[in-house]
Amino acid sequence: MSGSQQLRYASLHDVELATLSATGERRAFGELVRRHGSAVRGLLRRMGAASAEADDTAQDAFLAAFESITEFRGEGTFAAWVKRIAARQYLKRLQRERRLASLALEAEEGTQTAHHPDAAGRIDLDEAMKCLGAAERLCVTMCYGAGLSHAEAADALNLPLGTVKSHVKRGLEKLRTRLAPEGAELEGRRGNG
Amino acid sequence: MAEIEFERRLERLFSDAPAFSDESAFAARVEHRLNRGWNMRRWFIGAAGVAGGVVGASQLIMSNFVQRVEDASAGSSRLLQAGIAQARPGMDLFAMVQSDWTVVWIASGLAVLAMGFVLTRVIEEI
Repeated sequence: MSGSQQLRYASLHDVELATLSATGERRAFGELVRRHGSAVRGLLRRMGAASAEADDTAQDAFLAAFESITEFRGEGTFAAWVKRIAARQYLKRLQRERRLASLALEAEEGTQTAHHPDAAGRIDLDEAMKCLGAAERLCVTMCYGAGLSHAEAADALNLPLGTVKSHVKRGLEKLRTRLAPEGAELEGRRGNG
Repeated sequence: MAEIEFERRLERLFSDAPAFSDESAFAARVEHRLNRGWNMRRWFIGAAGVAGGVVGASQLIMSNFVQRVEDASAGSSRLLQAGIAQARPGMDLFAMVQSDWTVVWIASGLAVLAMGFVLTRVIEEI
């Protein structure tokens, strides 16, 4: 891509890039991938995907998003829209590999010893997520990371709504006890940066 | 209240995307796959257009299209010649047109190409 064109795309809003993408402008979509690729990959890792699997699924999600880009009307953010697609893609993958049922029913504790607090005893979200069971991790990430409602998550996971609510509630309780007080993670990051 | 605040905070934490060192490489891989898919689609559409053109051409040949065009052309040439003969005696347009039927074949070929092009466009739009 020429430098001037890249600059032009970089100056456009997500909605404008999506409109260009809808006309088949693949480089405009490439700019959207550059902007939101990390968010999608991060979400999938938080859902429990291994790094290679998360990257593959994120790629598939962006390709699927390009195919259905006309459905994005700018009512929410592009990031939220593509994250929802990615979350569903990951669940489809789990279903295809027959891993979803076992994950969704699992209510065991996560790795309790996995968190590595910093000097002040604080841990970030990714570390805190490690203390959740697979089902709790999936449900919490789908609801708070991908922005799905409990009902939508239940539908996607093929679980009863009550079960999803229980997983979310338990997951939130665990996260609350392990996450640093608000503002601490920002200070910690500043200190590290 | 504290519950809602914690949920909002969690949403903010989730929206804070982690940084990856290979962000550009990831985007390049997605673009590459997009381009590959697009190229394959274009080849498929082109092949479908050619196939459609060949089918159209064979249908035209099967339906004795050339003979009909020749007849129609001869008829209209005669009419034209008659008109011209009245206006400018001595000019033989009919003989001129009839002498080279390659014109008809060229016209048919162009028609097939046009059909292929239209078909390709229609498939692309779909």
